Amino acid sequence: MSVASSKTTSVPSTPPRRPFFDWRVWTVAAVLLVAVGLSVLFGVKQNAQQGFFGMRLFPLKTAYDFKLTGPNGAEVRLDQFQGKTVLFLFGFTHCANICPTSLTNLTEVYRALTPEERKQVQVVFISVDPDRDKPQTLEQYVTSFDPSFIGLTAPKPTIDQTVLAYGASYEMVAGPTNEPNDYSVNHSAYTYLVNPSGKLELLYGNEKLADVQRVVSDIQAVLREPRS
Amino acid sequence: MGQTQNVLSESELRALCVFVVKCSRLAAIGYWLFSLALVLLSVHLALADDQVAVTVQRPWIRAVPDVMDSTAVYMVLVNTSSIPAELVGGSTTIADSVAPMITTKEGEGLKQVVGMKSVDALKIPAHGTLVLEPNGNHLMVMGLKEHPKEGAQVDFTIKLEPGDHEIHLKIPVQKKPVP
Repeated sequence: MSVASSKTTSVPSTPPRRPFFDWRVWTVAAVLLVAVGLSVLFGVKQNAQQGFFGMRLFPLKTAYDFKLTGPNGAEVRLDQFQGKTVLFLFGFTHCANICPTSLTNLTEVYRALTPEERKQVQVVFISVDPDRDKPQTLEQYVTSFDPSFIGLTAPKPTIDQTVLAYGASYEMVAGPTNEPNDYSVNHSAYTYLVNPSGKLELLYGNEKLADVQRVVSDIQAVLREPRS
Repeated sequence: MGQTQNVLSESELRALCVFVVKCSRLAAIGYWLFSLALVLLSVHLALADDQVAVTVQRPWIRAVPDVMDSTAVYMVLVNTSSIPAELVGGSTTIADSVAPMITTKEGEGLKQVVGMKSVDALKIPAHGTLVLEPNGNHLMVMGLKEHPKEGAQVDFTIKLEPGDHEIHLKIPVQKKPVP
């Protein structure tokens, strides 16, 4: 025992001292410092634009002035709603899950606003299925959610132009039967918020829209924004 | 080693060895008995659970505008059995057909399109749940013959496999899930 222990103590165990100006240590420290600095900077920048629940677009750009067919076949343009906050989304009335869910959420959002705020907000549903969604059907559909809602559509080329302008997308998918009217439409499910100055400001995915209270707060914040 | 000799005599040590060997044999027998018991138990459970045991929670059917020819049914299905089950469809007096659907997402960002796809079955794992909810999996109700309003009740039957099992429900008509 005593022999073994004397052997271990005889081994020199102190490693050579690292010099204070070891370049490896300083490189790591510098990288860390830069990383922390950047994250603080970006965090601050993000906070400055925060307060919004929806995905905020930056820089704000003028929303594409769509020209679509409204109730009774009259032309309805986005610019007509200047001064109001417009919330619009693409869909189709044969949609059983996503569209009614979004419209129900938007109904809740709309009804949570004060009467004064409601006068400054317009919800618009744009059908990408003009073959089946005639203006009259569309009107009955949207107004059953809220009488103030507007349903718009247009011939396919105009719809395509509008969808493209908003970076959205849709495609028809054949249903289980081979009947020509049996198809579903896969479509972008974002709700677009256009502010009273006509700028596209916020986006909500269909799942986000379910958080009614936070969408309401966003709209109220947009309505309070100073306007040029 | 010197210390052990002080505590145990040679004969005691031998007795101890014999004891240890006996114990290990007993342990081996115990191990096999235990395994057998496990096998018997699982066979018993499998035989006892050849019936689908699924319960339904918070079912509702969406109230939709009169111009719509379809709607959706949502609920939570809880499988209390140890065999996987499947929701394969349903039926109702107010519509022509009912089909299980999944929600599909294709693409990224703004270009992402959301849609739905008919599937033969939605799985309910053993001792697991299947959630049917707005924006997600659902039972699509097609060819509406009536448009019941919020607050009404609808007779609705869901079909489960295995065993061609049916559950009859009275489902409330709602515009949104109960919070």
